Amino acid sequence: MTVADKRNRACAKLLADVHAITATEGITPSTLHALKLKLVALAGKAALFPPADFAMPLAEGRNHPLLVEDNDGHGLYLAISLPGKEAAPHDHGIWCVNASVSGRERHRFFRRTDDLSRPGHATVEQVGEVMLAPGTGMAMADHDIHSTEVVGDDPAVSLALYGYALARFPSVAWYHPRFGSVRTSPSRRHAAMA
Amino acid sequence: MPRTARSYRVTIANVGRTIDCAANQTVLEAAVAAGIDFPYTCATGNCGTCCSRLDAGKVALLPRSDAALGPQQKKAGLTLACRARPRSDLAVTWLGRGGR
Repeated sequence: MTVADKRNRACAKLLADVHAITATEGITPSTLHALKLKLVALAGKAALFPPADFAMPLAEGRNHPLLVEDNDGHGLYLAISLPGKEAAPHDHGIWCVNASVSGRERHRFFRRTDDLSRPGHATVEQVGEVMLAPGTGMAMADHDIHSTEVVGDDPAVSLALYGYALARFPSVAWYHPRFGSVRTSPSRRHAAMA
Repeated sequence: MPRTARSYRVTIANVGRTIDCAANQTVLEAAVAAGIDFPYTCATGNCGTCCSRLDAGKVALLPRSDAALGPQQKKAGLTLACRARPRSDLAVTWLGRGGR
Protein backbone atom coordinates (compact mmCIF):
# COMPACT_ATOMS: atom_id res chain seq x y z
CA MET A 1 0.00 0.00 0.00
CA THR A 2 1.46 3.39 -0.99
CA VAL A 3 1.64 6.44 1.26
CA ALA A 4 -1.12 8.02 -0.82
CA ASP A 5 -3.31 4.95 -0.26
CA LYS A 6 -2.67 5.06 3.47
CA ARG A 7 -3.37 8.80 3.52
CA ASN A 8 -6.64 8.41 1.63
CA ARG A 9 -7.72 5.63 3.95
CA ALA A 10 -6.84 7.67 7.05
CA CYS A 11 -8.67 10.76 5.73
CA ALA A 12 -11.74 8.70 4.82
CA LYS A 13 -11.77 7.20 8.31
CA LEU A 14 -11.46 10.65 9.86
CA LEU A 15 -14.45 11.92 7.91
CA ALA A 16 -16.45 8.83 8.82
CA ASP A 17 -15.62 9.41 12.47
CA VAL A 18 -16.55 13.10 12.15
CA HIS A 19 -19.92 12.20 10.67
CA ALA A 20 -20.53 9.63 13.39
CA ILE A 21 -20.01 12.33 16.01
CA THR A 22 -21.89 15.18 14.36
CA ALA A 23 -24.81 13.02 13.24
CA THR A 24 -25.61 12.03 16.80
CA GLU A 25 -24.47 15.09 18.76
CA GLY A 26 -24.56 17.99 16.29
CA ILE A 27 -21.99 20.78 16.34
CA THR A 28 -21.39 21.92 19.91
CA PRO A 29 -18.31 23.13 21.78
CA SER A 30 -17.70 19.61 23.05
CA THR A 31 -18.06 17.96 19.63
CA LEU A 32 -15.76 20.56 18.06
CA HIS A 33 -13.23 19.71 20.76
CA ALA A 34 -13.60 16.01 19.94
CA LEU A 35 -13.10 16.73 16.23
CA LYS A 36 -10.01 18.77 17.05
CA LEU A 37 -8.49 15.87 18.99
CA LYS A 38 -9.11 13.53 16.07
CA LEU A 39 -7.58 15.97 13.58
CA VAL A 40 -4.55 16.52 15.83
CA ALA A 41 -4.06 12.76 15.98
CA LEU A 42 -4.16 12.49 12.18
CA ALA A 43 -1.83 15.48 11.74
CA GLY A 44 0.60 13.75 14.11
CA LYS A 45 1.11 11.05 11.50
CA ALA A 46 3.43 13.29 9.53
CA ALA A 47 4.66 10.37 7.41
CA LEU A 48 1.24 10.41 5.71
CA PHE A 49 1.84 13.96 4.48
CA PRO A 50 5.32 14.01 2.92
CA PRO A 51 6.15 17.41 1.40
CA ALA A 52 7.06 15.74 -1.90
CA ASP A 53 3.41 14.72 -2.39
CA PHE A 54 2.17 18.32 -2.26
CA ALA A 55 3.17 21.22 -4.46
CA MET A 56 4.53 24.15 -2.54
CA PRO A 57 2.79 27.48 -3.06
CA LEU A 58 3.93 29.51 -6.04
CA ALA A 59 3.23 32.69 -4.14
CA GLU A 60 2.74 32.19 -0.42
CA GLY A 61 -0.27 30.04 0.36
CA ARG A 62 -2.12 27.05 -1.07
CA ASN A 63 -4.78 24.53 -0.08
CA HIS A 64 -4.60 20.92 -1.24
CA PRO A 65 -7.90 19.04 -1.10
CA LEU A 66 -7.32 15.75 0.71
CA LEU A 67 -10.77 14.34 0.62
CA VAL A 68 -13.72 16.57 -0.16
CA GLU A 69 -17.04 14.90 0.29
CA ASP A 70 -19.86 15.19 -2.23
CA ASN A 71 -23.45 16.04 -1.38
CA ASP A 72 -22.55 19.25 0.44
CA GLY A 73 -20.43 17.55 3.03
CA HIS A 74 -17.33 18.67 4.85
CA GLY A 75 -14.05 19.74 3.27
CA LEU A 76 -10.68 18.39 4.42
CA TYR A 77 -7.49 20.11 3.23
CA LEU A 78 -3.77 20.20 3.66
CA ALA A 79 -2.92 23.90 3.89
CA ILE A 80 0.62 25.05 3.15
CA SER A 81 1.53 28.65 3.94
CA LEU A 82 4.96 30.17 3.49
CA PRO A 83 6.60 32.42 6.10
CA GLY A 84 4.84 35.74 6.48
CA LYS A 85 1.52 34.59 5.05
CA GLU A 86 -1.34 36.22 6.92
CA ALA A 87 -5.09 36.59 6.92
CA ALA A 88 -6.99 39.48 8.50
CA PRO A 89 -9.64 38.69 11.13
CA HIS A 90 -12.45 36.82 9.41
CA ASP A 91 -15.58 34.82 10.09
CA HIS A 92 -16.05 31.80 7.80
CA GLY A 93 -19.74 31.52 8.55
CA ILE A 94 -19.10 27.81 9.12
CA TRP A 95 -17.23 25.83 11.77
CA CYS A 96 -13.65 24.74 11.24
CA VAL A 97 -10.94 22.71 12.95
CA ASN A 98 -7.20 23.01 12.32
CA ALA A 99 -4.27 20.81 13.38
CA SER A 100 -0.60 21.43 12.75
CA VAL A 101 1.60 19.02 10.79
CA SER A 102 4.72 21.20 10.85
CA GLY A 103 5.76 24.82 11.27
CA ARG A 104 4.05 27.47 13.39
CA GLU A 105 0.98 29.59 12.73
CA ARG A 106 -0.44 32.13 15.15
CA HIS A 107 -4.23 32.27 15.40
CA ARG A 108 -5.73 35.28 17.14
CA PHE A 109 -9.39 35.26 18.11
CA PHE A 110 -11.67 38.29 18.15
CA ARG A 111 -15.15 39.39 19.03
CA ARG A 112 -17.14 42.10 17.32
CA THR A 113 -17.75 45.12 19.54
CA ASP A 114 -19.86 47.54 17.47
CA ASP A 115 -23.67 47.53 17.33
CA LEU A 116 -23.87 46.59 13.61
CA SER A 117 -25.80 49.79 12.91
CA ARG A 118 -23.49 51.12 10.16
CA PRO A 119 -23.16 48.93 7.07
CA GLY A 120 -19.51 48.36 6.16
CA HIS A 121 -18.27 49.55 9.54
CA ALA A 122 -17.16 47.28 12.38
CA THR A 123 -14.87 47.15 15.35
CA VAL A 124 -13.36 44.02 16.88
CA GLU A 125 -11.22 43.28 19.91
CA GLN A 126 -8.84 40.40 20.46
CA VAL A 127 -10.03 37.86 23.01
CA GLY A 128 -7.50 35.06 22.67
CA GLU A 129 -4.54 33.58 20.87
CA VAL A 130 -3.21 30.12 20.02
CA MET A 131 0.11 29.18 18.43
CA LEU A 132 -0.52 26.21 16.20
CA ALA A 133 2.49 23.87 16.22
CA PRO A 134 2.83 20.09 15.89
CA GLY A 135 0.71 18.37 18.50
CA THR A 136 -1.75 21.24 18.78
CA GLY A 137 -4.96 22.30 17.08
CA MET A 138 -7.82 24.75 17.34
CA ALA A 139 -11.56 24.70 16.76
CA MET A 140 -14.00 27.47 15.86
CA ALA A 141 -17.79 27.61 15.83
CA ASP A 142 -19.78 28.93 12.85
CA HIS A 143 -19.32 32.65 13.42
CA ASP A 144 -16.14 32.83 15.46
CA ILE A 145 -13.59 35.34 14.17
CA HIS A 146 -9.90 34.59 13.79
CA SER A 147 -6.79 35.89 12.06
CA THR A 148 -3.75 33.86 11.02
CA GLU A 149 -0.05 34.58 10.61
CA VAL A 150 2.78 32.17 9.77
CA VAL A 151 5.56 32.64 12.31
CA GLY A 152 9.22 31.79 11.83
CA ASP A 153 11.26 30.78 8.80
CA ASP A 154 9.54 27.51 7.91
CA PRO A 155 6.28 26.91 6.05
CA ALA A 156 3.26 26.17 8.21
CA VAL A 157 1.61 22.92 7.15
CA SER A 158 -1.69 22.01 8.73
CA LEU A 159 -4.83 19.98 8.25
CA ALA A 160 -7.99 22.05 7.96
CA LEU A 161 -11.47 20.59 8.28
CA TYR A 162 -14.44 22.82 7.44
CA GLY A 163 -18.15 22.26 7.77
CA TYR A 164 -18.43 22.87 4.03
CA ALA A 165 -15.94 22.36 1.22
CA LEU A 166 -14.21 25.61 0.20
CA ALA A 167 -15.95 25.52 -3.18
CA ARG A 168 -19.28 25.67 -1.35
CA PHE A 169 -18.37 28.23 1.29
CA PRO A 170 -20.91 30.74 2.53
CA SER A 171 -20.06 34.44 2.58
CA VAL A 172 -16.91 35.21 4.58
CA ALA A 173 -16.82 38.45 6.60
CA TRP A 174 -13.40 40.15 6.80
CA TYR A 175 -12.75 42.64 9.58
CA HIS A 176 -10.16 45.39 9.32
CA PRO A 177 -9.37 47.01 12.67
CA ARG A 178 -7.08 49.54 11.00
CA PHE A 179 -9.87 50.71 8.69
CA GLY A 180 -12.74 50.18 11.15
CA SER A 181 -14.46 48.24 8.38
CA VAL A 182 -16.00 44.91 7.47
CA ARG A 183 -16.22 43.51 3.93
CA THR A 184 -17.87 40.30 2.83
CA SER A 185 -16.91 37.91 0.07
CA PRO A 186 -19.77 36.58 -2.03
CA SER A 187 -21.22 33.24 -1.00
CA ARG A 188 -20.21 30.35 -3.26
CA ARG A 189 -23.09 28.21 -2.14
CA HIS A 190 -25.76 29.11 -4.71
CA ALA A 191 -23.44 28.76 -7.70
CA ALA A 192 -21.91 25.54 -6.40
CA MET A 193 -25.27 23.99 -5.56
CA ALA A 194 -26.98 24.98 -8.86
CA MET B 1 14.68 60.95 16.10
CA PRO B 2 12.60 58.31 14.25
CA ARG B 3 13.22 58.00 10.54
CA THR B 4 10.26 58.65 8.31
CA ALA B 5 9.71 56.09 5.56
CA ARG B 6 10.27 57.38 2.07
CA SER B 7 7.07 58.39 0.32
CA TYR B 8 6.03 57.95 -3.30
CA ARG B 9 3.25 59.39 -5.44
CA VAL B 10 0.54 56.94 -6.48
CA THR B 11 -1.96 57.82 -9.19
CA ILE B 12 -5.24 55.88 -9.07
CA ALA B 13 -6.70 56.16 -12.54
CA ASN B 14 -10.26 55.10 -11.63
CA VAL B 15 -10.76 58.25 -9.57
CA GLY B 16 -8.17 60.49 -11.25
CA ARG B 17 -6.36 61.18 -8.00
CA THR B 18 -2.72 61.13 -6.99
CA ILE B 19 -1.92 60.40 -3.34
CA ASP B 20 1.13 59.91 -1.16
CA CYS B 21 2.06 56.36 -0.18
CA ALA B 22 4.92 55.57 2.19
CA ALA B 23 7.36 52.81 1.29
CA ASN B 24 6.14 50.80 4.29
CA GLN B 25 2.47 51.29 3.44
CA THR B 26 0.37 49.35 0.93
CA VAL B 27 -1.39 51.08 -1.93
CA LEU B 28 -4.70 50.04 -0.39
CA GLU B 29 -3.83 51.47 3.02
CA ALA B 30 -2.84 54.78 1.44
CA ALA B 31 -5.97 54.88 -0.69
CA VAL B 32 -8.34 54.17 2.21
CA ALA B 33 -6.52 56.75 4.36
CA ALA B 34 -7.04 59.27 1.55
CA GLY B 35 -10.78 58.55 1.51
CA ILE B 36 -10.77 56.66 -1.77
CA ASP B 37 -13.38 53.91 -2.09
CA PHE B 38 -10.88 51.36 -3.39
CA PRO B 39 -12.46 47.88 -3.70
CA TYR B 40 -11.18 45.32 -1.20
CA THR B 41 -12.44 42.41 0.86
CA CYS B 42 -9.75 40.50 2.78
CA ALA B 43 -6.98 43.12 2.47
CA THR B 44 -4.41 40.41 3.19
CA GLY B 45 -3.77 38.83 -0.21
CA ASN B 46 -6.30 36.03 -0.04
CA CYS B 47 -9.30 37.05 -2.17
CA GLY B 48 -8.08 39.15 -5.11
CA THR B 49 -10.82 41.79 -4.86
CA CYS B 50 -8.26 44.62 -4.99
CA CYS B 51 -6.52 43.18 -8.06
CA SER B 52 -5.23 46.10 -10.10
CA ARG B 53 -3.28 46.82 -13.24
CA LEU B 54 0.11 48.29 -12.53
CA ASP B 55 0.23 50.91 -15.26
CA ALA B 56 3.59 52.33 -14.23
CA GLY B 57 6.20 51.91 -11.52
CA LYS B 58 7.57 49.17 -9.29
CA VAL B 59 6.16 47.53 -6.17
CA ALA B 60 7.29 45.03 -3.55
CA LEU B 61 4.62 42.40 -2.83
CA LEU B 62 3.85 41.12 0.65
CA PRO B 63 2.88 37.43 1.08
CA ARG B 64 -0.31 36.38 -0.68
CA SER B 65 -2.25 33.32 -1.83
CA ASP B 66 -1.65 31.66 -5.17
CA ALA B 67 -5.36 31.94 -5.87
CA ALA B 68 -5.35 35.72 -5.40
CA LEU B 69 -2.45 36.53 -7.72
CA GLY B 70 -0.61 33.86 -9.63
CA PRO B 71 2.72 34.20 -11.44
CA GLN B 72 1.02 34.55 -14.83
CA GLN B 73 -1.14 37.42 -13.61
CA LYS B 74 1.87 39.09 -12.06
CA LYS B 75 3.79 38.67 -15.31
CA ALA B 76 0.85 40.25 -17.13
CA GLY B 77 1.25 43.40 -15.07
CA LEU B 78 -1.36 42.79 -12.39
CA THR B 79 -0.86 43.37 -8.71
CA LEU B 80 -2.78 43.32 -5.43
CA ALA B 81 -3.23 46.76 -3.91
CA CYS B 82 -3.42 45.24 -0.42
CA ARG B 83 -0.01 43.58 -0.82
CA ALA B 84 1.80 46.16 -2.95
CA ARG B 85 4.23 48.58 -1.36
CA PRO B 86 5.65 51.24 -3.68
CA ARG B 87 9.27 51.20 -4.74
CA SER B 88 8.81 54.11 -7.14
CA ASP B 89 6.04 56.50 -8.11
CA LEU B 90 3.11 54.40 -9.37
CA ALA B 91 0.04 54.47 -11.55
CA VAL B 92 -2.61 51.80 -10.90
CA THR B 93 -6.10 50.98 -12.10
CA TRP B 94 -8.37 48.72 -10.06
CA LEU B 95 -10.08 46.11 -12.20
CA GLY B 96 -13.46 45.67 -10.60
CA ARG B 97 -15.64 45.62 -7.56
CA GLY B 98 -16.75 42.58 -5.56
CA GLY B 99 -14.99 39.29 -4.99
CA ARG B 100 -13.68 36.90 -7.57
